[in-house]
Parts: sequence; C-alpha cells; structure tokens
Amino acid sequence: EKTELPESSASDKKVVLLPCRNPPSRERVQLWLEARKQYESLQRGR
Amino acid sequence: MTTLTRQDLNFGQVVADILCEFLEVAIHLILYVREVYPSGIFQKRKKYNVPVQMSCHPELNQYIQDTLHCVKPLIEKNDAEKVVVVIMDKEHHPVERFVFEISQPPLLSISSETLLSHVEQLLRAFILKISVCDAVLNNNPPGCSFTVLVHTRDAATRNMEKVQVIKDFPWIVADEQEVHMKEPRLIPLKSMTSDIVKMQLYVEERAQKT
Repeated sequence: EKTELPESSASDKKVVLLPCRNPPSRERVQLWLEARKQYESLQRGR
Repeated sequence: MTTLTRQDLNFGQVVADILCEFLEVAIHLILYVREVYPSGIFQKRKKYNVPVQMSCHPELNQYIQDTLHCVKPLIEKNDAEKVVVVIMDKEHHPVERFVFEISQPPLLSISSETLLSHVEQLLRAFILKISVCDAVLNNNPPGCSFTVLVHTRDAATRNMEKVQVIKDFPWIVADEQEVHMKEPRLIPLKSMTSDIVKMQLYVEERAQKT
C-alpha cells in the first residue's frame, strides 16, 4: 500500500519518493504517433 | 579563483539548473535507447555538442518537466542523494534502474571562465555512455513503462511541497517493490568530479528479465 507524503518533521530518516501520476502509456503514445502520421499524410496530400 | 559557500547567491540554483537540464536530456535518451516508447516520437537534437534523441510527445515531455521541477528544489538544497530512472515490466516490477548518485561540495572553488565548459564536457561523457549502454544491457520485455524515484530525507520533503501544489503533481513514498530489485547486475557507466558536483551513474539490471 502506498502512503501519503509524510508531513514535515525534524526527522532525518531517508525516504524514497515517486510521482503519484504515471507517465503516458506506450499504447497511448503509439496512438498519438499514428494520428500524427495520418495528419501529416493528409497535409501532404492537399 | 573565488570561493563561495552554498549560502552564497544562486549557487544552489545554478547547480540545480545545470543538473535538471542534464537529467531531462538523460531521461529522454534512456527512454529512447531502452525502447520504452516508439522510436517515432523521438527527434534528433544537439545537446552538449553531441546528437541526442528527444521526445516530441507533448504529454510525455510535460511529465518529465513536471517531475524535474519537483526534484529541483531538493537538488538546490543538496537534498537529493539519488535520482533513479526505473524501467518496469508489465507487472510493475523493476527490470532496470539507472541510478544517478549526486553529491555537492559544501565549498565551491570557481574559476568561472573554465567552469561551465568543463562541466559540459563531463556531462557530455555521461550522455555518450547512455547512448551506447544498450550494448551492455539485455533486451527488456515488451510493454515496459518507467518512473522516476528520488532518494531524499524526510525533513527535506517540505522543500517539494510548494512546487507539488503549483504543478498539481503530487509525490508519494515508494513501495518496497519499486525501490529494490532481487540480485541485480551492477553496470557502472560513468562518474565525474567537478568543482560544483560529483555524480556517478550506474545501472542495476535484473538478472531474469522475462
């Protein structure tokens, strides 16, 4: 279970943090890439 | 030769700017070299006087920028011990960890005319090592993703609070499985010592990736 970022304290304990959000997935990026290629191809056809 | 302390004007900011700019380039290059994203989203650019591959996907670029905006205040205060780019398999288990170990001297001796070009030369060597690291690493399984970890101290997390709110980019404490890898193979890539920062980069690679 992930826990909330600890509240500020005088503690000097080491912690490892990571962003709560995930980066875009490979599939999402792949869809964007295909859409961009289609758009560029349409632009060239005009 | 001038000697400055960490408290002097902008010293921490300058180091943080230099390192975050470098980390941004390094993260893009790692994602390209390790094929986390399709190669079609990357474009060749010139950084540190060498060609690098940088993503042109707006959401991914914004994500990397937001991540580093949050890490920057920690670097500025010398509170980021390690910045780690973790590549994870479909089950979110780490397969590779690119570990940037950072330390800064409390005192700074500046010869300003050579400082920046010297640091740039050192950082260029890191970039070149990353760009060829696939030769010493095994292929990753399909469907990998990534995250960025920062190793810091509990008390230092308050330095991140403001920027997390401004950027609407909250951070959480990592799970054990995101931090540790069973019996990793350690591959040292590069280390540097300059007047303003010491840094070493190594990769921890999981023995069995599939």
